[in-house]
Amino acid sequence: MRKLQVLLLTAVAVLVLLAVPALAAVEYSTKGPNADEIYFIIITEDEARLRALQLGEIHIYPGLTTPETIDTIYADLNMDITFDLGFHMFYTALNMRKKPLDDKVVRQALAHVVARDRIINTLFAGYMLPLESFVPQSSPFHHDDVKHYEYSPRKAAAMLDAAGYTMGPGGIRIDPATNKPMEEIEFLTPTFEIAPSSAQIGQLICDEARAIGIPAKHVPLDFNIMLDRLDIFDFDAYCLAWGLDRDPTFLYHFFHSSMDVKSGNNTPGIRDPELDQLLDTLYYAATYDEAMEASKEAQEMLSDLLPYITLYSRPYIDAFRTDKVKGYVPMLGYGAANYSNNWTTLNIAPVTDQPIRWLLPEDVKTLNPTVANSAYDWEILGRTTDSLMAVDPETMEDIPWVATGWEIETWKPNRAELDPECFANVDDEATKITFHLRDDVKFNDGMPFTAKDVKFSIDYYIKHKLQEQYQYLVDVVKVETPDDYTVVVYMSTLSYWHLGNLNRYWLPEHIWKNVEDPEHFQPWLEPHPTVEGLTQLVGIGPFMLESFEPGQYIHMVRNPYYWAAQ
Amino acid sequence: MHFIRYILKRLVYAAIILFFILSFNFLIFRVMPGNPVGTLQSPNMTPEMKQLVAEQYGLDKPLKDQYFIYIKNLLKFEFGYSFQTRRPVKDEILERLPNTLLLLGTSTLLSMILGILMGIFAAARRGSVAEHLTIGSGLLAYSVPTFFLQLLLLLAFAFFWPIFPIRGTMSIPPPTGFFPLLVDRLHHLALPALSLTIIGAGSWALYTRNAMSDALCQDYILTAKAKGLAPRRILYHHAFRSILPPIVTLFFLSLPGIIGGAVVTESIFSWPGVGRYLLSATLEANYPAAQGAFYLIALATLISNLVADLAYGLVDPRIRVGQGGH
Repeated sequence: MRKLQVLLLTAVAVLVLLAVPALAAVEYSTKGPNADEIYFIIITEDEARLRALQLGEIHIYPGLTTPETIDTIYADLNMDITFDLGFHMFYTALNMRKKPLDDKVVRQALAHVVARDRIINTLFAGYMLPLESFVPQSSPFHHDDVKHYEYSPRKAAAMLDAAGYTMGPGGIRIDPATNKPMEEIEFLTPTFEIAPSSAQIGQLICDEARAIGIPAKHVPLDFNIMLDRLDIFDFDAYCLAWGLDRDPTFLYHFFHSSMDVKSGNNTPGIRDPELDQLLDTLYYAATYDEAMEASKEAQEMLSDLLPYITLYSRPYIDAFRTDKVKGYVPMLGYGAANYSNNWTTLNIAPVTDQPIRWLLPEDVKTLNPTVANSAYDWEILGRTTDSLMAVDPETMEDIPWVATGWEIETWKPNRAELDPECFANVDDEATKITFHLRDDVKFNDGMPFTAKDVKFSIDYYIKHKLQEQYQYLVDVVKVETPDDYTVVVYMSTLSYWHLGNLNRYWLPEHIWKNVEDPEHFQPWLEPHPTVEGLTQLVGIGPFMLESFEPGQYIHMVRNPYYWAAQ
Repeated sequence: MHFIRYILKRLVYAAIILFFILSFNFLIFRVMPGNPVGTLQSPNMTPEMKQLVAEQYGLDKPLKDQYFIYIKNLLKFEFGYSFQTRRPVKDEILERLPNTLLLLGTSTLLSMILGILMGIFAAARRGSVAEHLTIGSGLLAYSVPTFFLQLLLLLAFAFFWPIFPIRGTMSIPPPTGFFPLLVDRLHHLALPALSLTIIGAGSWALYTRNAMSDALCQDYILTAKAKGLAPRRILYHHAFRSILPPIVTLFFLSLPGIIGGAVVTESIFSWPGVGRYLLSATLEANYPAAQGAFYLIALATLISNLVADLAYGLVDPRIRVGQGGH
C-alpha cells in the first residue's frame, strides 16, 4: 500500500511538474486565428471517437476520461496528449441536518476512511488528482494548508471511541446521545449503468464505513430521482461532481446558510455564523487580497466542519493528431481544447491542407447565445464572440483584450431610486467599473463593435431576464456610454467579482434590437438583413458560423473582420 | 355497407384512444421523477433564478391550465418549445425525422423481404440441412444483442477494413451534386441499415417459416399438387397468399417503430434521429420535446393499426362482406 501511494503521488507530481514547463515552453501568439476553417464533427459513441482519431477522421479529441483510451492514444506516436488541471470537483455531501452526520466527529471519522489514492488508482488508473480542499488546485484561490484526513480506519475508529461511540452488538456503534445503535446512513449515487465510477466510489465508502462500525448502505438511484431527493434534502449522503470556475464564489452558494432553502445549493444544510461571515466577506470582497484571505480562511474552516468530503479533481485531458494540427496551447483550468481557451482558438493551425476536424462528443442543440446552457453549444458560440478581458494561460490573471483597460471605483447608489424587489442588497458604496474598448473591433458582418453594443447587451439580458446571462448581472443598476468606446457599469453592491461577471456574450445591437422574443429566436437560421450569405448569428469572435447540420457537424470559418488578425 | 360501418367504428375507436393517449402522455411526465429545472445544476444558480426558469417554462401555472394548453396545441400539431433549446419541438423533430425514416424504413423493408424469403425457403425444404441452417441463423440474428453486433460491424468494416464510414449520415464536408450526394448518403446508410436488417430478418424468417409450414400442410395445397400445378405457383400463389393477412398486419404494426427510431443504433453510428432525441428529452425531463415525440409515435401506432385493420379487410374477403358471407 505504501509503495502504491508513493508511486501514485510520484505520477501525479510528474504530471503537474510536466505541465508547468510544458506551458512555459509553448510559444503562442496573441494574433490569429491561424486556421481558415474548422469542422466540429459530432460523434456520440466512445469507441467510434477513438477509431475516428486513429483513422484521422478527427484531429482533436477533447475531454478524454477513459484510462484505456488514454493509454491507447499515449502509445501512438502520431498523437499528443495534454494534461491541464481543471475546475472539476468530485465530492461526497453529508446531510448535517440528520443524525449521526450532525456530529462533526462522525463526519471527520468518515473522512478518514475515504481512500482517495486507492480510488484514483483502481478506478481511474491514476488519471485524477486527489483533492482535500474545497477549491480545485487549478484556481489561484486554492488553499492547500487545510486539515488533512489521511486514510486510516484505525484513526477513525479511535476518534469514534473517544467521542463515546462504542462498538455495539452486530458491529454497529452505539450513539451516546440516544444509547441506541447509530442510525443507518443511506449513501446515494447514480446507478452503475449511468455513472459506474460514482456508484463504485459510493460502494467503497460504505464498505469502509461499515468496517469501523458506522452503518452505511449504498443506494444507487436513477439520476432524476436522486436530484428530486436532493432538492428537498431527503438524503443522508451522496456523491456527485461539480464543474466549477476560477473564482471561488461558489463557496457562498454551497455553504452559506441563506442557501439552505428548497432548491438551494447548500444541500448539506450547514449553518455556521462564523462561516457565514467569512463567506459574506468572500462574496462581497472589495479587493483581490480581501477575497484571497477570506477564501483561505473559509477553506480552513470548511475542512474542519466537513459538509463535503472532497475526493478528486479531474484534469482536462485532450488528444491531438500532431501530423494534422499544431499550435494548441495547454491552459491551466480550461484545458488545451476548451472554447474558453482563447489561445488555442487563435493559434491552432492545420499541418496539411486538410481543414481542422475537431470532435464534439454530443449534439449542439441551439446557437442562441441568450439561452444556450450546454457546454457543447458553447464550444461553437464561444468562438463567435470575444471577451472584454482574456485570461492569462499561465497566471490565470485577467488581461486586457477587447477592453484595453478598466478602472474599478465606487459610487453611492440612491436606494430610493432602486426597486427593492430587484435589488435586495444595496451597499452604501458600490462598485463602478469603467471599461475602455478597442476602437478596431468589428462584428463579422463588418459593423463596428462599440460601447452601445455593450450597454445594449447588458440592458437586454436584464430586461428579458435571460437566465444564462442574467444571473451574473442581477446587481447592475445602470450602464452609461460617455463615448463610443467607454462603458461605465454601476452595480448595487461592492464586490471584487463584478469584474469577472461582466464578461458576457456581446450582442450586436443592430441585429437584436428588432428581436422581441429572444428566447425563441434562432439567429443561425435567419438570413442577415443586409449581408448576403450571412445569418443573424453575428459576433466579434475569431470565427463565424458557415453551416450547421444538426446532429452531424458545424462548419466555422475565420471572421474576416477579426480585430486580432495577423 | 358492412365494410363502411367497420371503417367508421374503427375511426371512432381510434379517436377515443388518441384522447386517452394524449392525456396519459401529459400525466406520465408530471408524475415521473425529475423536473426540468432540477436538471439545471449550476453552482451559481440561486433558488430565485430556478423559480424564474420554472416560470419561463410555464411550470408555475396550475396543472389543469397546463393540460388545456397542451391539448389545444397538440390538436393543432403545435408541440410547444423545447425547455432545453427554446426551439419549436416540431422543428427539432422534423430535422431528425427524415434520418430516422430513412434508416428504419430501409431496414424494416429489407429485413421483411429478406426474412420472408428466408422463411419461405426454409418452409419449402422441411427437414433439410438448408432449413436447419436458415432457422439457426434466424435464431442467432434474433438473439444477438443489437449493440454487440453493431459495434462488431463498426470495428470490422469501418476501422480494420475501412470500407464504410464510422459515423453520421454524410461525409464532412458533403459532396456537391445530386448523384454524388445520393451515393454518399447510401454509403453512410449501409452499415447501420445492414445491422438492423440482419437483426430484424431473423424474426421475420422464423415467423414466416412457421406460418408457411402450417399452410403447406393444408388440404388445398394437396389439391393444388394433385392438379399438377408448378411447385413455385403452389408456394407463392397458394400457400404464401394464405398467410398474407397476418404478414400484412405485422408489417403495418412494425411501422410505428420506424418513427420511434432506434436509440442504440443512432448512438453507435452517430445517426441524428428521433430515437436519441426522445431519449435525451426523457432524461432531461424536457416535457414538450418528449410529449411531442411520444405523440407522433402514438399517432403513427394508431394510424398503422387502423390501416392494418383496413388492409386486413381488403385482403381477407370475409371481413369485406361481413360475417356470414353476405
